[in-house]
Amino acid sequence: MSATTIYLALFLYFIVGSIIARYAGRKMGGGVNEYFLAGRSLGGVVAALTYSATTYSAFMLVGLAGFTYIGGVGALGFELIYLSGLVLVAFFGPRLWLVGKRYNYLTPTEMLGDRYQSKAVAVVSAVAAVIFLIPYSAVQLIGIGALVEGISGGAVPFLAGVGIASFIAVYWTWTGGLRAVAWTDSLQAAVMLIVAVLSVVFIAYRGFGGFGNLFTALESQYPAWLTVPGPGFFNIHAFIGLTLPWFFFSLSNPQVSQRLFMPRSLAQMRIMVMGFLIFGFIYTLVSILWGFSARLLLPDLEVADAATPALLGLDIVPASVALLVMLGISAAAVSTVNSIILTLSSMITRDVFKNIREDSIAHQELLVGRIFVPLFTVLILGFATLRLDLIAALSVASSAGLLVMVPALIGAFFWKRGTAPAVILSVVGGGIVATVLQYSGLKPFGFWPGVWSGVISTILFVGVSLLTRAPENKAEEFIGYLQEELDSKEVI
Amino acid sequence: MKKKRIFWAGLFFLMILAAFVIPYTPLLNDLSRVYGAFLFWNIFALIVIVCLGIITSKWRDLG
Repeated sequence: MSATTIYLALFLYFIVGSIIARYAGRKMGGGVNEYFLAGRSLGGVVAALTYSATTYSAFMLVGLAGFTYIGGVGALGFELIYLSGLVLVAFFGPRLWLVGKRYNYLTPTEMLGDRYQSKAVAVVSAVAAVIFLIPYSAVQLIGIGALVEGISGGAVPFLAGVGIASFIAVYWTWTGGLRAVAWTDSLQAAVMLIVAVLSVVFIAYRGFGGFGNLFTALESQYPAWLTVPGPGFFNIHAFIGLTLPWFFFSLSNPQVSQRLFMPRSLAQMRIMVMGFLIFGFIYTLVSILWGFSARLLLPDLEVADAATPALLGLDIVPASVALLVMLGISAAAVSTVNSIILTLSSMITRDVFKNIREDSIAHQELLVGRIFVPLFTVLILGFATLRLDLIAALSVASSAGLLVMVPALIGAFFWKRGTAPAVILSVVGGGIVATVLQYSGLKPFGFWPGVWSGVISTILFVGVSLLTRAPENKAEEFIGYLQEELDSKEVI
Repeated sequence: MKKKRIFWAGLFFLMILAAFVIPYTPLLNDLSRVYGAFLFWNIFALIVIVCLGIITSKWRDLG
């Protein structure tokens, strides 16, 4: 594919998104709630689409397809167990939404700080989120850079792809805050899904003569790919190590859990959750079928992440569809990155700046938040240019690191004995364990970093809580309020 | 509400445990067919989606 075609497609995509972002920007009212949460007034459909676009990144059609290519059906189990992690939203969604409104929380980490009555809790949790989400975001940009470089045969340099994607992400976010992000996410989610479904139909029919033939070919040529551990990649330790952190994604990742503050009612949150589940189910199946197709059509690839660019280069995929898929993957990456940038900026301004400068006034808080939007983008861009390998491995490492937030979040709603020192130690201790294990490559007793970070942060949270004094009044008031509200609404 | 909460939490725990374990047992780990682990995980996800549809049906427009 020529460089001109790719640049033109990205330019058109930028223009269409920018029109939407500017329109959203004009609808935006004043204040941090409006800029970072769209005034807690999102409708269910937009909420579902932005939740989907934020959650599903370039990892799906690149990393997950690659996992399927080397590991077979285990990739489906991994991703569908992740999707089933939305059961956590059944319990935590209404709770976060209710306390968000009552106490005017801007970020999940602000909620933790207030619930445990400790500014240090908010600061430490926010800093941990920044540390673990920067590499995750950089991986998204690396995905776009590698993709455009791959399908253009090197005519579009890696750095051009990374730079263009960063500019798009920061421009839309700066223009209209969360409203612009949510609306452009909606467009991007639609593009992601339509293009993914369209392309897999093309591949199945033009490559195999239909889905039935695709599966028949798989059963006869690669039977091991339909079982676990199958070819070996998804041995039980790898499966648990990959899947466990992702199961808690809806709670552990603040760019996602912050979205539970945004629907204008619980009924709209229901549309968000169900819409996301349907989106996720289809998108997962498409990504898996994409990987299986690559396994059959391109059996000799040396790098699993090359499965997608290589498939796009085959004659059975028309150039126009390949171009759309490239845009769909870019959209998946940009929509994840800009949501993360906005969430991290809101955390810096609310959890760090406001806690340090208590006398700050509202417009200063918003200004600091907005300044951090381009600053984080530059940081992520810088990280991306290092071009670290193993797209999927790094994404999962981020999830292992963020998993350390989960015990504190569960405790906030269900355990009155939880304490601030316990939160800080569990986040810091678990985070250090995740980082050291990930970068040393150590897997004690065969278990992956995500398992250890989860276990250790839980032990630290429970153990230290039992040894220190809980904020009893706040816990009673916070949990008591929720119990009363939820019982009156007949919500579990 | 507490009883319902415990019921759903218990049910989800068992379902998710099954999703981790069953494909690795002899029941499915030798069945190299589409109606093996592939179908199992799809059905698992669809059941979870239906359960969440039931739970969230109580989430109404209360402002």
